[in-house]
Amino acid sequence: MPANKTNGSTRRAVLKAGAVLAALPLAGKAFPQPARAPTKVLDFHTYADVAKAEAEGQLVFYCHENEAGTAAIMEGFGKDFPKIKTGYVRAQTGALYNKIVSERAAGRFDVDVIQLSDLAPALDFQKKGGYEIYASPEAGAYAPEHLSDPPGAFFWAGVSFAGIAYSKAKVKPEDAPKTWKDLLDPRWRNAMSCKISSSGIQFVQWYMFRKLYGPDYWKEFAKQRPRAFDSRVQLFDRLAKGDDKVTAIGEYAAYVLYKEKGADVAFVAPADGLPATPLLVGMVSKAPHAEAAKLFVDWAMSGRGQAFYQDNPNLIYGSLRKDAPPMRTGERLRDFKLLSPEDYADYMASRDQFSKEWAAMLGL
Amino acid sequence: MGFARARPILRVPSTQTLVGGAVAVVAAALVLYPIYFLFQAALNVGDPEAKPPTDYGFDNFVNLGQYGEILLNTVTVSLAATVLALLFGFVTAWILSRTNVPGRHVLEQLMAVPYYVTPLLGAFAWSLLGAPESGFVNQVWRALGGEDHLIDIATPWGIAWVMALFEGSVAFVMIGAVMKSMDPALEEASQIIGAGRLRTMLRITLPLVAPGVLGAAIFVFAEMLGSFSAALVLGLPNRFYVVTTAMYQLVSQYPPRIPLAAAMGVSLFAVMFAMLFVYRRIVTRRSYVTITGKAFRPRVMDVGALRFVLLAVCVLYILLSVALPLLTLVYASVQKIAVAFPAAANWTLDNYRTATTMNAVRSALANSLILGVATATIGVVVMGLLAWIIYRARLPGSGVIEYIVMFPQAVPRLVFAFGMMWAWLIFPIPIYGTLWLLLIAYLTVFLPLGIRTIAGVMLQVDRTLEESAQMCGAPWAYRIRTVTMPLLGPGLIAAWLLLFIAGVRELGASILLMGPYAKVITPAIVESWFASSAELTAAMALIQTIVVAMAMTLFVALTRRAQVVRE
Repeated sequence: MPANKTNGSTRRAVLKAGAVLAALPLAGKAFPQPARAPTKVLDFHTYADVAKAEAEGQLVFYCHENEAGTAAIMEGFGKDFPKIKTGYVRAQTGALYNKIVSERAAGRFDVDVIQLSDLAPALDFQKKGGYEIYASPEAGAYAPEHLSDPPGAFFWAGVSFAGIAYSKAKVKPEDAPKTWKDLLDPRWRNAMSCKISSSGIQFVQWYMFRKLYGPDYWKEFAKQRPRAFDSRVQLFDRLAKGDDKVTAIGEYAAYVLYKEKGADVAFVAPADGLPATPLLVGMVSKAPHAEAAKLFVDWAMSGRGQAFYQDNPNLIYGSLRKDAPPMRTGERLRDFKLLSPEDYADYMASRDQFSKEWAAMLGL
Repeated sequence: MGFARARPILRVPSTQTLVGGAVAVVAAALVLYPIYFLFQAALNVGDPEAKPPTDYGFDNFVNLGQYGEILLNTVTVSLAATVLALLFGFVTAWILSRTNVPGRHVLEQLMAVPYYVTPLLGAFAWSLLGAPESGFVNQVWRALGGEDHLIDIATPWGIAWVMALFEGSVAFVMIGAVMKSMDPALEEASQIIGAGRLRTMLRITLPLVAPGVLGAAIFVFAEMLGSFSAALVLGLPNRFYVVTTAMYQLVSQYPPRIPLAAAMGVSLFAVMFAMLFVYRRIVTRRSYVTITGKAFRPRVMDVGALRFVLLAVCVLYILLSVALPLLTLVYASVQKIAVAFPAAANWTLDNYRTATTMNAVRSALANSLILGVATATIGVVVMGLLAWIIYRARLPGSGVIEYIVMFPQAVPRLVFAFGMMWAWLIFPIPIYGTLWLLLIAYLTVFLPLGIRTIAGVMLQVDRTLEESAQMCGAPWAYRIRTVTMPLLGPGLIAAWLLLFIAGVRELGASILLMGPYAKVITPAIVESWFASSAELTAAMALIQTIVVAMAMTLFVALTRRAQVVRE
């Protein structure tokens, strides 16, 4: 596995993006510090009033994650705080974003915490004042580039990254693609999969490869007539059953899940790096269960919550906590060379172009 | 379906007018309120997130021109599926209503089962059976020495096949009703003068039932245009979109393209509404012929040894649409990775363990059952009243009410759900995100189903019985309770069961209207197909099927027991 420093350039990216984010309503404001000292709960710290959170008795979570993953997060938190009843809505990023924006436009504020898999809608939501600024006492365990700007709106609850994956039953290791450019070989025509345009990681891959290889890369890729799917699991399910030979965006989390199920699949980490997208968790403004929301954010940021995000078989997201233990595979996030956008303004501005180009490539 | 009407003889009492009018107004509001928001979104050419829109225009409709291929796909698949469904429906209806095939009464009951199995389960199962590489059929084919693949279900033809298998059951019911009301003397005359059975069927039976078949064709085609699940499961892997799946993708992506999706929905609504208008015109004419036809007794033809071949045809249809899909799901649900020839290490019960221990699934299944019971119970009362208003009492404006309550038939449920989401978000009573909203949604989208079913039975009951009670001085409510309701008993039970099944299995409207504490099971099953695994999905779908079957059995047992006690 090629090793490299993770997200080494992200801090610069955040600084560059600062010019854009300065225009945000909350940018530049002082980071609000709670007046009192944090409380230690279980093995993490929180500014939430735990008694109040339990009296609120509920937590409503909106999440892009699959049903099993979302349910697992809620069950993990619910086990630690059984007096807080958890409820969630899961949907694809676009549908979820549209739902919450429509609800808020109509004056409905039912949600406490939201998790998105794509920076573009998260930054959009931040622009709309959708996040509550909450200074978690657990934030110190994260590098500034893995917190929102200004901090407190959302944080990077984990990272999903993708390489090339192939079916060992259909492709010999010596014939398997080793680099991203190998995917343009005509032998993979009508035999390769990718994700649909609502996927955050697919957007990162499109954006980064345009930077690395130029826009012609995707024109050539379109000629391969890839099949597109909603979730990482589908891509590996099809590889495991031989329906596709190769996936152009094999997420490591799904690879681990399918290897553990006994699937005959292999993962390739091209030397140029692996597209990576963060999972962004933040407390929503006007949350009806504000103390429960703060408690959840702290739990999710803590080693306890992060262990859950890293180890649950339906999640397996690498933790960005400075003291994070290795993933269940024994590897850490820093063992992989990850590719993330540097210029967020440019990245955000290209979202619409990506959606249109990608949808057109898929015949939509 | 069409129903005969007679001029009202009796003056409408005031209670009747009041209750009838109130129910009709509420039903109309439930239907029209969301439709207004749907049209508003389709005409929004300004900021897509602005509510209400700041600019109106027809740009979204003009932009639909770019999606010509999707519109063509929709029409092609719908046409192919309709032709196949009619073929299944016509052949099985002819066999079971016009021939002396053995066990036809049992087979007639079994023909309704594909409707309960639903195209969604069928699509899951046929995807496991017919995927070119991993499909069980193709794996067996290659194991027997075949090359490449025998069938490919992830094609437009595959989608049409699955849709037709399950809609064939509806076509069977509609065409069967026509055939049963047909004068057999004409067929007998044909055979007496020397025509063979096939020639008789083609030259006599077919022209006689043609108007009914045409009505069924238009109805089924309209259903196909709005269908969602088979194209979603089987079409997406091969980049094949129909209007409903394209809309689903447009609203799921970021940034979502709601106005364009709404314009697609409104266009589909317009086409489906036109189709249903034509359908109603046809069946209204047919209904007159049916009533005169009741003067003779239907008889069946003796087809000799051919009856065993015909029996095989019916059994094959039930095998392909019910037995094979369910067995496939059972087989897949006990494997880690579903393959045709599993190794010992591949067997597992983990999928059932996961499905039964997921809190979300358990609460979703419970919610679905609650909603199914509530939808069916309230629906039978409300829709019964509406059927009575429209087809029996003939209150002023009942014709308009009839068209309005049939609107949801012409709107794909996914489209309707958008209108409902926007409509109920701003409604002052806070039911958004609760089971109440889902209940209202179900009662609204199932209005046509419930009213059609109850009206079908209502028109078979002679109105003179009600009139006799009135002549004896019984007030309206008393007549309904003591005369009309007991007479309609079996029909109402059938309607209850239909609404219960439809409620528990609902997908399109639920996807958008579920709240954090108001989840239902079918969207969770679909989501599991896309984001968890086919094997877990199979386990969840089977659990749902078993629970629904148990609930139905319990209901039937209770109603029978109540009937015995009454007798």
